Parts: sequence; structure tokens; C-alpha cells
Amino acid sequence: MELVNIEKLLDKYFEGETTLSEEKELRTYFTREHIPSHLEKYKDMFQYFSNESQITSIHIDNAVSSTNIPWYTWLGVAASIVLIVGLFMTNIIPGMDTEQTPLLTLEQDLGTYEDPQLALQKTKEVLNLVSQFMNEGKKDLVYLNEFENAKKKLVYLNEFENTKNSLIK
Amino acid sequence: MKESVFITLTDGFKDKLYRLARRLLVSNEEAEDATQEVLLKLWKNKKRIGQYKNVEAFAMTMTKNYCYDKLKAKDSGNLKIVHSNYKDERPSLQREVEAKDSLNWVGKIINNLPEQQRMIVQLRDIEQYDNAEIAEMLEMNETAVRVALSRARKVIREELVKKHNYGVG
Repeated sequence: MELVNIEKLLDKYFEGETTLSEEKELRTYFTREHIPSHLEKYKDMFQYFSNESQITSIHIDNAVSSTNIPWYTWLGVAASIVLIVGLFMTNIIPGMDTEQTPLLTLEQDLGTYEDPQLALQKTKEVLNLVSQFMNEGKKDLVYLNEFENAKKKLVYLNEFENTKNSLIK
Repeated sequence: MKESVFITLTDGFKDKLYRLARRLLVSNEEAEDATQEVLLKLWKNKKRIGQYKNVEAFAMTMTKNYCYDKLKAKDSGNLKIVHSNYKDERPSLQREVEAKDSLNWVGKIINNLPEQQRMIVQLRDIEQYDNAEIAEMLEMNETAVRVALSRARKVIREELVKKHNYGVG
């Protein structure tokens, strides 16, 4: 393309009046090796424009891909279900484990009395036993009285107080 | 709407969303976040996607609004996070580095433009949308888009000329 034409196009370009196809012509012109020195300053600009249009980001995923749940999540869920069900099965089904059955009956025998009279009597026995132990324990606390005795011996400390008072007079 | 349909629909423009967000927010990570967020919102509203006559333009508008919110939030906070703003006080070294990487220099010029002009340059010169589409995306009218585009391009030209003359003189 002629130089005069290019200069005209450039003038139009800076007025913002070129069409897209004319701008394309300019861009292709400035990719040339030999450009007249007075136009060389525009080379960088057009070069920059075409470089910038190539820039992409590698980091942008599509927004939707994050909603996918990886397959091994389901493996974990399945494993935990199996574990929980397994734990319950061993307790619920009787006869599967023979050692388990006597333990169950023992747990159910909590020493409940059906006859109220008998229950009252037994309760009294238990309470008596408790109070007996209480009293035994209390006997050992007798030496606490020693504190009281010792305190009484300290009464003569009051004498100091009395003499002090008389001195003030 | 199925996942695969959604993915093929958004694959067409998700990089464009990313680049627009990057133009506004500068930081790659924040741009990625913004793109994810917009795609996620689209996916959540997938039932209504059929009603939009231009999903791509709609997504672009969403990205723009999201980035504006981000920028506003940043402005109001006490702590400012400024990305890629490594200005060196010594001009000679700065010029040197810039001369080495003149393409980055163009990027810097563009990123110093006001937000709206930045977006228009991005959409027009890099993504090659026509003015009518840009007007729809940015909720502006076409004339305003053309004016802003011309203004932005002239600023870029000015800066390029400055830089060029510095190298020569």
C-alpha cells in the first residue's frame, strides 16, 4: 500500500473515524520489516494491540466444574454406612455370638423387688448400713476437738490486751 | 441449559472478559477473580440467558460494572493496593528500561488513561468490536464512544512522539 494512503488512514485513525477493516489494514502494514522512520513510532502501538489480543489466563476454569463431586467421596460414604450397620448387627441378632447372651440377661437383672414389704425392708437395711459407716467415719474426727482445747489455752493472750489498755491510761 | 452448552457459549468470550478486567484492574489475579465471578453469575442466571439478545455484550457490561465496584472499594479503603506502579525517581534509568521494553511502554501509556478511555481502547483496538457494540457494552452512545476513542488515541500518539523524540534528541 502507498505511503500517502497509510498517512491518510493514520490521520483518520486518530480522529476515530476509521472502520474496523481499515484498522486491520493499518495493523498488517505495521507488521512489515521496513517502515519509514517517521512512522516507526506507531509500530510499537500496533504491535502491542495484536500482542494483547492473544493474552489468555490459564487459571480460569469454567465456573460449573466445581459442582462435580469426585467419585471417592461416595466410597467414603459407603464405607461409613457399612461400618455403622455392621456395629448394630452384632448386637441385635441374638445367638450369633453365644458369649453375648448371658451378659445381656445379667444387665437386665437390676435387683428389682416385686413385693413392696420386702422392698421396704431391704431399703431400710441399706440405709442402716450407710449410716453405720457414716458414724464410724465420724469417730475418727474426734481429734478436731483438740483445736478447741488449744484455743482455750490461748485465753491468757487477753492479759496483754489488758496491760496495754492500762498503760494507755 | 446444559453445562456443555454453557461452556461452549462462554468459551467464545471468557478471554475477552479476562482481558477487559485486566485492563481495568491491572493485576492478573484480580482480573481472574473478576472473570470467575462474572461467569459464575451468568451460570446462576442461566435460565434467563435466552432472554438476552447479546450474551457477550451483557457479560462485558457485567465485567465492567464488577471492576468499577472493585476500583471504588479500593479507593474508599484506607489501604491502597497499587499494582505495577513501580516508578523510579531517577528518570534516566527509567527511560533506559522503557527503551528496552517499548511494548510495555505502550501498555503503560494505555493504563494511565482514564478508565473509560482505557476500556474503549481495549475493546476497539485490541478486541476489535465496532463502536455500536462498545456503546452497548459500556452503556454509552456511539458518538461519545467515537470521541473518547479519538481522544485516547491522540494521547497515546502524543506520548509516543514524546518518547520517540527523547530517543532522537
